[in-house]
Amino acid sequence: MKRWGGLTFVILILAWFAVPDRASAQCQLGVPAIKIGVQGAASGPHADYGRQIEMGATMALEEINAAGGILGCKLEMKFMDDENRAATGVRNARYLVTEWGAHFMVGTDSSGVAMAMGPVLAELKRIHFFTHAATHRLTEELVAGKGIKEIVRVSVPIYQDAIIAALIFKDRPEIKRWATIGADYEYGYASWSLFKDTLKKYRPDVEFVATAWAPFLTLDFSPHISAVMAQKPDAIFSTPWAGEAVMLLRQALIQGVFDQIHAWWQAMGGSVDVLEGITGEVQRDRFKGALWATARYIHNWPDTPENKAFIERFKKRWVRFPNYSAETTYSALFIMKAAVEKSRSLDTAKVIEGLKGMQIRNPGGLRVFRAEDHQFIYNVPAGRPVMDPKYPIPVLGDLRVFDAKDYYRHPPFTPVVVTK
Amino acid sequence: MDNIAFQGLIGLSLAMYLWLLSAGLTIIFGVLGVLNFAHGSLYMVGAYLAFTFYGLLGLPFWVAVGLSLLGVGLLGIIMERGFLSRLYGIDEAYQLLLTFGFILILDDAVKIIWGGVFKIPPIPEFLDGAWSLLGRPFPVYNTFLIGIGLVVAVLLWFLFERTWWGRTVRATASDREMANAIGVNVPRIFTGVFALGAMLAALGGALGTPVRVVAPGIGAAMIIQAFIITVIGGLGNLKGAFVGSLIVGILSAYGTLFFPVFELFFIFVIMAVVLLIRPQGLFTR
Amino acid sequence: MRVNRSAFQGRLTSPAAWALCALLLFLFLQPAFAGRYSLYLTIHILILSIFALGFNLLFGYTGLLSFGQAGFFAVGAYVCAKILIAVPSLLLGLVGGVLGAGIVAAFLGFLSVRHTRVYFSMLTLAFGMMIYSIAWKWRDVTGGDDGLVGIPRAPLELPGLSLSLATMERYYYVVLVVSLLAIWGMHRLVRSPLGLTLQALRDSETRAAFAGVSVRAYRLIAFTIAGLYAGLAGALLPPLENTVTPPIAHWSYSAEPVLATLVGGIHTFGGPIVGSFLLYMIKDIIVRFTQYWLIWLGAIVVVLVLGFRGGVVSIIEQALQPRLARRVERKAGTERKAAAGRKTK
Repeated sequence: MKRWGGLTFVILILAWFAVPDRASAQCQLGVPAIKIGVQGAASGPHADYGRQIEMGATMALEEINAAGGILGCKLEMKFMDDENRAATGVRNARYLVTEWGAHFMVGTDSSGVAMAMGPVLAELKRIHFFTHAATHRLTEELVAGKGIKEIVRVSVPIYQDAIIAALIFKDRPEIKRWATIGADYEYGYASWSLFKDTLKKYRPDVEFVATAWAPFLTLDFSPHISAVMAQKPDAIFSTPWAGEAVMLLRQALIQGVFDQIHAWWQAMGGSVDVLEGITGEVQRDRFKGALWATARYIHNWPDTPENKAFIERFKKRWVRFPNYSAETTYSALFIMKAAVEKSRSLDTAKVIEGLKGMQIRNPGGLRVFRAEDHQFIYNVPAGRPVMDPKYPIPVLGDLRVFDAKDYYRHPPFTPVVVTK
Repeated sequence: MDNIAFQGLIGLSLAMYLWLLSAGLTIIFGVLGVLNFAHGSLYMVGAYLAFTFYGLLGLPFWVAVGLSLLGVGLLGIIMERGFLSRLYGIDEAYQLLLTFGFILILDDAVKIIWGGVFKIPPIPEFLDGAWSLLGRPFPVYNTFLIGIGLVVAVLLWFLFERTWWGRTVRATASDREMANAIGVNVPRIFTGVFALGAMLAALGGALGTPVRVVAPGIGAAMIIQAFIITVIGGLGNLKGAFVGSLIVGILSAYGTLFFPVFELFFIFVIMAVVLLIRPQGLFTR
Repeated sequence: MRVNRSAFQGRLTSPAAWALCALLLFLFLQPAFAGRYSLYLTIHILILSIFALGFNLLFGYTGLLSFGQAGFFAVGAYVCAKILIAVPSLLLGLVGGVLGAGIVAAFLGFLSVRHTRVYFSMLTLAFGMMIYSIAWKWRDVTGGDDGLVGIPRAPLELPGLSLSLATMERYYYVVLVVSLLAIWGMHRLVRSPLGLTLQALRDSETRAAFAGVSVRAYRLIAFTIAGLYAGLAGALLPPLENTVTPPIAHWSYSAEPVLATLVGGIHTFGGPIVGSFLLYMIKDIIVRFTQYWLIWLGAIVVVLVLGFRGGVVSIIEQALQPRLARRVERKAGTERKAAAGRKTK
């Protein structure tokens, strides 16, 4: 029996190697094409974010190639589903770099995947432009702390989710009692801790009266909502995102939450998929003006011709509004282009040098590179979801704009104590 | 305290929802002897169909639910007749593996047909809003779930205790060969029971759409809880599944209120303890 | 036509033995010509092979379908990771991981083997998920959903020798040697009286009991060994990936050795190994053409379960069987002629 197993094995190995792979031809930087590996969550309930990453990257690639590429070299990309899992993301990264030959990598939704990838990037010596993963630890610990230079983040981290909320609500004296319905993993804990620490500095009178934690893939939040509402909070800080945010808001509505609270902060509520999901409720003003949200880019701000043109092109190409992960990924490719053009090389160390001092205009506004933690600093406003006759889905209106330097944390970084 | 009672009622609505899923699972096991791993996928397809008929095509909610039941019932018939029935009489491990294969197929199939983005229809008007209970707003929707769960329980009891078909099924479940000997068309009974179980799963899926998103993977999220409930109640024991749903639903609601850290772990401990001490379930027939 | 198989066994010149030697040669020489990613993939295949081999001892040979093996895999991985973070010695990490998994398996096995069939499967599912929830919730020890990061690829510390394993090639050789030893060990095991007893248990529990075999004791032994193998497979993971996260304990991960064994062949020794390779190959190839690889995998599972329960190994065996029969016939024919010739002389 075992012998036949061995024979089978040999046949199969030969079959595997027989399956064809790519061939090649030549350009100015000495390669057939510049290869970009793209990763995002393309399966599961958060699949839209990976899809948007892919859409943003593809559109950027097409535009760059149409304009002649980078120093005459065409771009080529390969998208892989990281399934929001660290093991898959790391394996894909290795494949993309060592087997497929990626010169750069872009994307990644999950903070867990990003944190696992960090050390591997140092081993593979490839830059990854992170366009969604929001944990502060990626840049504060791995870049500023451990010096992994291959990490570059283009999207705003949880400073957006946590600190902006504190800045907005510190000026609401009637809101004293806060509760959270939080995502039961690091993103949720860190955001809540950061929010509490920041708010307490401005408002020592504030109390944190209840918490409920919902694990990934919770479908029914009614026990969490009712547990939290039993403590009669004035406002709720909510971190579940994507489909979970939509469900949570619906289930909160039918429990009459929005008749009882002054405010509900839905951290990533400004994301296109969430706005689409709550269109009916916003149209009927069910949230009574209490719902606040932000994102890592919103399509109606800044009101610049460049942003408007980007939206138009995106809608034409994909028949949908760009989500924040699409804009950040799109911008990441242009950032990469600028860095490669400045350094005139694909060598990782030289491109990192080329990033230093970079200021670049993207659809989302002006992004400025900060060398200490490899963050691209830019700002995104927060607001209330409202209907606007110019758009078929809600947009964030009543915008509060803060300067990025007022809510990005600065080095030297002290660790955020994460308590539940 | 009122808040504790309120949380218990929320837990009750959770329990009734879980009951819909567990009833089908336990019936299928009780009669066919098959643990249908793909039950969660049938739930998911039910949700997708209901969303399509109600959310996309604009049909009335009840019509959409009915069509979704028919659709998944048909799917169940195909699964049982076309595939599962070929494995009766062979080691049941293969039946488990077959249903596992179906999970993989159905999960990708819904992605291919409907795309990977989550879907949610508007909430039907008659299910919106809340009424005052114990001084707090208790949703109409959750009340509705409690009602439906009880109605389904009564209907199933009636079906199995008082109708000819139900009695035949029970006879087949307790002794297959004997039933065959007295002229029962056992294969047809099996198909019918599998379809019934599938439709119950679809009912759960369809009724969830007003407040839950429809997305790939929602079946897998539910199936574990359904397993736990059927184990606690006794595999094949319908009354046990009902009580098991109450236990799991209400306990998890209280878990969120009082000891959130341990919730996940303890529910599996209960499952393991029941399997160890009384594998026939806490409620023997 | 009756085939005299005994004429075939034990002959060093048999084509299967040659193929096996060729395979071993290929594996040992692979770093010379293959890229780092191929080595990385092969390591993963070897890890899954060990995992599946242990699983199949329990399923194919003893008849117990466990859906909780990932729990022991995770124990092996986490224990090894914690050891490596504290003391950079790969040997210590591996031994620790294996022992940890073995102890947990022995304990949970003691509880589990009192039941069979569906109840056994559900029990193992529950136990596996309990381990998963511990890994997810016990942040202080397991790092919670973030897992353990920054695990070093510790050097192999033997008395008098310290071998750095920083390169993929070096680690590949370590995994290869460990895997071959594990495979050889399992091979001896299934051919031993223990292995035969387990198969007897699987075929007829009552008969075995009547023959005086302690059913539960043997099942426990099989369960523990399966756990040891799962732990070994798990312990080989952290030095490779430098991270360990909770999903490796989830029941969906327990499905991996199940699928590998099913695809390769349940009632064959080599089945789990072939299946592990195939599983990776299938995903690797299908993913180049379409993102919908799950539906293909599901279809393969359905087809195998319905028609080819012996897995790929049995498919190939059936294809080659007629040719083998002819060869042996011809050989037997020539020998008969030679013997006849000798007689007449």
